[in-house]
Amino acid sequence: MTNEELNYLDLARACVDRAMAAGAEWCDVAAGTARDISVTVEKSGIKSADAGRGEDVAIRAFVRGGMGYAAVTGRDRQAIDDAVDRAVALATEATADPDFRRLPPPQPAPEVEGIFDDAVAGLSVAQVVAIAVANIEAARDMEADVNLSGEVALAVGRGALASSTGVALESRATEVSAHLSALLRRGDDAGYFYEFDFGRNLADCRLETVAVGAVEGARRFLGAKRIASGRRTLVLGPLAAYGFLGHLVAAAGAESIQRGRSFFCGKEGERVADACLTLVDDGLVPRGVRSGAHDGEGTARHPLTVIQEGRLAHLLHNAYTAGKAGTESTGHGTHTGGISPTNLRPALGDRPADDLLAEVDDGIYLESGEIRPDPASGDISASIDFGFLVAGGERVHPVESAMLGGNVFDLLGRLDAVSSDARTEPGILMPTLRIRDVQIAGSE
Amino acid sequence: MDDLVTHVCDLAKRRGVDFADVRAVQRHGESILVQDGRADKLATSSDRGIGVRVLVGRAWGFASADSLQRRRAEACVDDAIALAKASEAFVTDPARLAAIEAVEAQDRVEPEVPPGAMPVAEKIDRLLAWEHAGRAAASDGRNIVNSIISYAQGWHEETLANTAGTLLESSGSRAVATALFVATDGEILQRGTEHRGIVGGAELLRRIEPEAFSVRAAQKALAALDAGPAPAGRFTVLFHPSITGLLVHEALGHNAEADAVWAGESILEGRLGEEIASPAVSVYDDSTLPGHFGSFAYDSEGTPGRRRPIIEEGRLVAYLHSLETAAKFDAAPTGSARAESYDCRPLVRMSNTFLEPAGTDTGVPLAEMMRGIDRGIYLEDGHWGYVFVQKGQFICHAGQAHMIEDGQVGEPLRDVSISSLTLDVLQHIDAVGDDFEMKMPGMCGKDGQSAPTDCGGPHVRVRDVVVGGQHTL
Repeated sequence: MTNEELNYLDLARACVDRAMAAGAEWCDVAAGTARDISVTVEKSGIKSADAGRGEDVAIRAFVRGGMGYAAVTGRDRQAIDDAVDRAVALATEATADPDFRRLPPPQPAPEVEGIFDDAVAGLSVAQVVAIAVANIEAARDMEADVNLSGEVALAVGRGALASSTGVALESRATEVSAHLSALLRRGDDAGYFYEFDFGRNLADCRLETVAVGAVEGARRFLGAKRIASGRRTLVLGPLAAYGFLGHLVAAAGAESIQRGRSFFCGKEGERVADACLTLVDDGLVPRGVRSGAHDGEGTARHPLTVIQEGRLAHLLHNAYTAGKAGTESTGHGTHTGGISPTNLRPALGDRPADDLLAEVDDGIYLESGEIRPDPASGDISASIDFGFLVAGGERVHPVESAMLGGNVFDLLGRLDAVSSDARTEPGILMPTLRIRDVQIAGSE
Repeated sequence: MDDLVTHVCDLAKRRGVDFADVRAVQRHGESILVQDGRADKLATSSDRGIGVRVLVGRAWGFASADSLQRRRAEACVDDAIALAKASEAFVTDPARLAAIEAVEAQDRVEPEVPPGAMPVAEKIDRLLAWEHAGRAAASDGRNIVNSIISYAQGWHEETLANTAGTLLESSGSRAVATALFVATDGEILQRGTEHRGIVGGAELLRRIEPEAFSVRAAQKALAALDAGPAPAGRFTVLFHPSITGLLVHEALGHNAEADAVWAGESILEGRLGEEIASPAVSVYDDSTLPGHFGSFAYDSEGTPGRRRPIIEEGRLVAYLHSLETAAKFDAAPTGSARAESYDCRPLVRMSNTFLEPAGTDTGVPLAEMMRGIDRGIYLEDGHWGYVFVQKGQFICHAGQAHMIEDGQVGEPLRDVSISSLTLDVLQHIDAVGDDFEMKMPGMCGKDGQSAPTDCGGPHVRVRDVVVGGQHTL
């Protein structure tokens, strides 16, 4: 039997039946297969080509609310049965949890177009290599001495989810991506930048030209200089803004709030940001990279406004946290019991990013970088990894050895604009953000 | 698994490859999460599979399958060869390998408590007891609002064969425990964490004393409620050994991985033999230290682990090597090629990386280091870091800190990050202590793979470090 011939829904149902017979009170099982191809680029050449294929079965069993979880790879039936038995045994050993209410019932799931692409599934190794080679050539055409590295990859998967409540779902998905970084050395100076493109459909991507963006970025980041400390306007470019907003949405996961460990505790319905910020999480965007008809527990997805004009409007729930709160799951559950955002779509403002930057007399433009608030205190202490000094509305030069600090609510309260234009990736919107009066630590 | 990997190697030879290595792996893991008085997430995992790496002419190919069946393993050989051939015409930097000393050995590290010997119920009881002890640290209206104690153990069996004649069987186990407490005074939330990790098994649960683990984590969270935000700017900074460990791992170690150097991405390219650090600085990576989280006897290519000098008395003396990078640099392999599992190619990785403490004659005691600082910051409780080797720019995050005023420990500060350029910070180390601590077990990420590592060193004093605080003084 080849991998393509196994019926994962039948397998998942059989595992659920076995778990219930063994004493589970609730159970769900995810089973599926994935294959991947990746071509590694190093030193502006092809380094290697890799391929892998695997199958997984993951069993979640509940006894008196306590959860036992077992995951196993491969299709050896004895190993799978053993995993089912272990999940039930662990659930029996777990402490009873009265906050657990139920697993999701079967429910109509909307159709989401464009999650699987035959063109991606049909890509050969030679074609993936050709994409990598096209990038190498494009980069060399721009800068003969560029050092390009990274990876072109694809993944193809299909699977099923079955539960003791009668959930029986099958899905399949593709993803293709190119992640490349370019390094330019000019004497003691180095310019470095990273660019990517990804999607579920080949037609949504421009994989052959990702290197162009990386080289352009590397050119921009030549000539970095130190700056002095001070309070400045911070402009977050699309990549930096997306990362920052992603941390906000993740912090709106209900479990960390119910447990009392999140900076969003007690803030539901409260103003947490300037009114210019509205954040929607939407797992149903056609062709979206994080789209799907249902979450990892079988709950149908729907768009959720997390922050509405600066107010923390809704939390992200899975079945457990929804039951504990006496509400419905928002379709953000993972099969391991966690909560995960989907496609992030901030509401756009009314002026383009160039106009927002043009108004900045003294600032920092952060093109890319990690602004990660402490999950409990909300404090931020981040490196300006890819940033520019801004003066008179212009990016003057890249900066080195500089940091920014503050608290997440200080930054959100001083947010004064969201751009009307945005970088788009399938399902995702990445506008530019502008934040006034942010503490910058320099090394000059 | 011996027969399988030997058979697959022989098959690869018959197919005409220039080199092949085959790794068959079986892994099992278990984890227990205790939260707010309940053991509510218990998990296990198991996986097995085979990875085949071939060198065909100039190019590498690698294929893996989640099965130890002969038929699937044989298919990996053909897949790997096809992958190499598909890319060979575009390889500009032909692969090469150092001379391989074939190894036939068994390396079995048995945990003191064999897998399965300690009942799950006993493990849960121990975790609940730690949690209870930590929660008891709260007082005076300061509450612990959330506590998480987690324990995880993984054990593996691996058989490696290559076409040079190596046949290596290894097995081992690692265990980790983490305590996280979140405290509040009604206004703000603060976290405190502690981590422990060993090469071993459930004996870790018997070794941990709650006072030094969960109670300490809770006390950190409670103490942070009284801490103010750190200042922003450039300061003289005193590094606790955990921060020193982060520094040598992130700022230096990743730059010394020879695959990054050969790829032209490391700032240490072309600097062998140069003085790149203060003369007081010597840094080593050593996978032979008993019990440490990053230790191993053989790497994933079958090269024995060892103590590897990186910097000696300020001079860059060597990089960390795989078989391939050793050939390209005309150096000896250092046993630094590690793969996370069967479905990953070996990469050049660190193990246990540390800054060597100064001798008792030259080491600077902590109090003396502090006396030399008019206004500075003492960074403690290393949490995490990352580096851009291409720019030589790194960041390290400290869970706790204190101001230093006129040579004395001053006000407590909240968690804060520092950033600098690797070559600057190595030159700006102006005092190295004679103390030593290496208790930073963790999983280091690189190119999508994780590897267990540890890092540490003595206290050190560094001038001109950028601190990412919230206000200027």
